[in-house]
This record gives sequence, C-alpha cells and structure tokens, in this order.
Amino acid sequence: MGVGFRAAHRAHVLEARPAMDWFEVISENFMVAGGRPHETLARLQDSYAVVPHGVSLAVGSVEPLDEEHLRQLRALCDRIDPPWVSDHLCWGRAPGVHLHDLLPLPYTREAIDHVVERVKRVQGTLERPFALENVSTYMAYRDSTMQEWEFVAEIAERADCGLLLDCNNAYVSARNHDGDAARHIDAMPADRVVQIHLAGHTDKGAYLLDTHADHVCEDVWDLYRRSLARCGSVSTLVEWDDAIPSWDVLAAEAQRARAERAAVLAQVIP
Amino acid sequence: MSALAAQQRTLAALLRRGSSIADDAEASALATGNARLTGAAQVEIYREQFFLRHVDALREDFGAVAHLLGAEAFEALARAYLATHPPRTFSLRDLGAELPAFIGEPRARDLARVEWAFVEAFDAPSLPALDASDLATVTEAEWPALRLALQPCVRLLSIAYPAHDYRASVRRSEAPPPPAPRASFVAIYRGPDSLHGLDLTPAAYALLAQLAAGTPLGEACELASCVSPADFAVDLAGWFRQWTTLGLFSLNAPRQASRTSSGGS
Repeated sequence: MGVGFRAAHRAHVLEARPAMDWFEVISENFMVAGGRPHETLARLQDSYAVVPHGVSLAVGSVEPLDEEHLRQLRALCDRIDPPWVSDHLCWGRAPGVHLHDLLPLPYTREAIDHVVERVKRVQGTLERPFALENVSTYMAYRDSTMQEWEFVAEIAERADCGLLLDCNNAYVSARNHDGDAARHIDAMPADRVVQIHLAGHTDKGAYLLDTHADHVCEDVWDLYRRSLARCGSVSTLVEWDDAIPSWDVLAAEAQRARAERAAVLAQVIP
Repeated sequence: MSALAAQQRTLAALLRRGSSIADDAEASALATGNARLTGAAQVEIYREQFFLRHVDALREDFGAVAHLLGAEAFEALARAYLATHPPRTFSLRDLGAELPAFIGEPRARDLARVEWAFVEAFDAPSLPALDASDLATVTEAEWPALRLALQPCVRLLSIAYPAHDYRASVRRSEAPPPPAPRASFVAIYRGPDSLHGLDLTPAAYALLAQLAAGTPLGEACELASCVSPADFAVDLAGWFRQWTTLGLFSLNAPRQASRTSSGGS
C-alpha cells in the first residue's frame, strides 16, 4: 500500500519516516539536473520503495515521441530501479505546444495502432515493465467506434504492457458519459493490472472533475473491491494532489485501502 | 494528415483560445455531448483547465510578482504570456523561463528575475564544494592565476530594485509596500536546507561576476577593485571566508555552469 509523495509531506516523511510500504513520485518532478529533487529522492529511497509515475509522456500524441523525455526517464529509472514505471493512456503534445493535460484519445482502430507502436518503443527504451493508466475524461469523441474498456484492453494486449487501473478515473468517466464503471472494471484483463489508483474527485454539477482533492468516495471504494476481486493482490496507491490534508488523514485513507484489500483477498484467496 | 493528427491539431488550437469555445462549431463537431453538456461545452472544460493549470504554475513560481501586481493583473499577464510563449517542454518547471524578459515594467521584471533565479537554483546540480583547506594549499605565487568556479546553483543578479527583500517579505506573508528604486546586487544559491539570497556590495558582485566568467583571480580582483577601491581592500578576505563557508565555490567545476545576469534583459 502506498501514497503519492507530495511536497506538503516532504519534511514529515523524510524526517519521521512514517510507516508506508511505498511511494509513487511524479516522474517529471525528478527528471532534472540535480539539486533538491535528487537529494529528496535519495533520502526517500533510504527507507521506501519508489515508483515513478509520469504525467507528460503523451504516448498517444501524433507528434514524435520526445526523445529527451525518454532519455531522462530512462536515467531516472536507472537511478531508482523501480519494479515498473507508469504514465497515462492519453495525448498532450501538438506541434509547438505541450498542453500538460491528460487528453483523451478517440476509441478507434487508428488510435490503437498508433499507441501500440509507441508503447513498444517506450518499453524498448526503458527496458522495464511499463503500465498505462486509464484517464478521467470530460468529452466523448464522435469518432469513437468502441467502448473505452475495449480500447484499453486491446492496447495492453497488443503492446504487451501493464495497466494501472485507476478506479476513480473509471468512475469519473462513467459518470460523465452516462456509462457503467463496473463494466469497465470487469472488462480489464486482470493479469495485466500491475497497480490500482484510488483518489477523490469534485462534483461540478454537470460533470465530475478528477481533482484528487478529497476522500475516495463510497462508489469508488465499491469499484476498488470489485477490482481486487478480479485482479487479486495488486499494489494500491492513494493519490491526493489538491487541498492536501495532513499526513495523518492521508495515511488513514491508505489504511482503509489496506483493510478493504485484506477483507476482499480473505474471501478471494481463503 | 491522418484523422488522429487532424483531431489533435484542432483540439490543441481550441484549447489555447483566449475565450470560451462553448459555442464553437469545430469543438461541437468533435464531441458528442450529453444531456447536461453540449459537445463544445465538454471541450470547453479542457480549455478552462489549460489556463487554470498554467496560470497556477506561473503563480507558484512568481508569487511575489503576483503579490506586487494583484491577482487580476497577474492573471492578465500570465494569459498574455501563454499566448506568445506556449508551454513547449514536458516539464511545467520550464514554463516561466521567458517571463522575466516578457515583463516590460522594470520593478516587476526585476522581481521576476529574482524569482526565476530561485527556480533555477532549486534543481541545479551540486558539485563538490571548495573549502578553506583547499585554498590553504595554494601558494602566494599561484594566487593571481587561480580560477575559481561557482557552484552551478549560484545566480548573480544586478537589479535596479531590492526585489530579493520584497520577495522574502511576501514569503513571510507580510504585506510589503512596492519596492522603491535602489541598485541591488544579490547572489542566489542553494544551501543544505533551503534556498538563500545573499546581498552583495557592488565590488563583491563585480568580483564574483568576474570569477563566474572565468577571469583569473588576480585580474578579477583588479577589475572589481575599480568599482569601490576602499571597500575592496577592507572586505576581500572576509568575502572569501563567507563565500567558502557558504559553499558558493565548486571544486573543478565547469565555469560556464554559473551565470550572471545584469539589468535590462
């Protein structure tokens, strides 16, 4: 069980070394020349396992893969030797601009072919397990010809990559598009899920926004239990990125996830 | 161009629009919408997020500029900057690199230069520090030709306003008055626990700037002493004690790694 490492908890984590199995760090925050980020990472690794989670690789962009990005990500992985590395199934780069967003792809055969080829290249560069995360979406393309879960599952199979199953993202997208998150969970190839994300969101009235600014809601806990029943003992991570609470509140959220997982696994694996 | 490429180009242009696209025909043609939101209104969510995210990132790095200008004026500045300097790299850390040069008003520009220097000092690499014992082995005859390199994290600024003091006051959650013009010299660097700004005299700044440029110590001292001969003679030894104690010099460091920056950029 892990949580996302954020600057608000840096001093507490590095000095008090609270109990936590592992931390996820935002890859790009540590893909720098050195300085405080490198010092922080080294100190974090003294006590915890660390997994890098990217937000800017833009694997679905039509723009050529950013070779400098890949080079620096490889260097980061070489430095911390994580069991896997992850980023999002999305696009974010266009000619002359990096939009710094997790923009959805149309669920088409063209997009599948494009992403599969790119993921293979990423994995070839990184030479370690790579997992793609499903994103929260606020728009649905007119061009889409299949369901999101069909799109995700086919990419994972053909690219031979892992999946980071974000239960909150599945829930947010389902609510925003009048879909069924449980069907998304049920359709994931369980043997490819290497990690689960849990987080909170914000209800904006006409849509849900993936803010990571609140507790995990009860509907998402339901999806989490459903995911565990399908995927078994998968590493879980709680994200909290806005309106960040005290460490104790975050740790309690992770503790609940730990208890939920133990209860589900006790039934699944008697 | 493939359908995917065309979609991404269209969306990238829509998301950077300075005003709402909730009624835009191109946006509507891309997204289905639902009972609560039209297709264009769905795309508008992403456009709003583009500006929120990038204005927030700039506000985080330039908090004192935002304090000086006020929330509304800073947002207008940030949006104007984004229109001509779109984010181009994978890291939001790089977003504000050109903001100091983009700002026309001298006081805010000096403040932005100081704040950007802190951003750069934060993640610049560290090299082994040169300390007093390293200098003890240098013979008197060797001193004039000695070249000293600054740590890559050190930024030297010559500014027309005491922007460093203003920034420090804002970060203490005070409400300082806008800084009045006063020529100021500061070295921004990363210490073991935090980032610091060290006020310098004109002569001390001149000396560090010469050393950062690779000038041998003897020639650097001659040039810097012209700035303020009296101060120079009195303070030279004390400066070096302080600078080596703070770890500003590196051992065998690449000289070009440190930079100086004077007004007008």
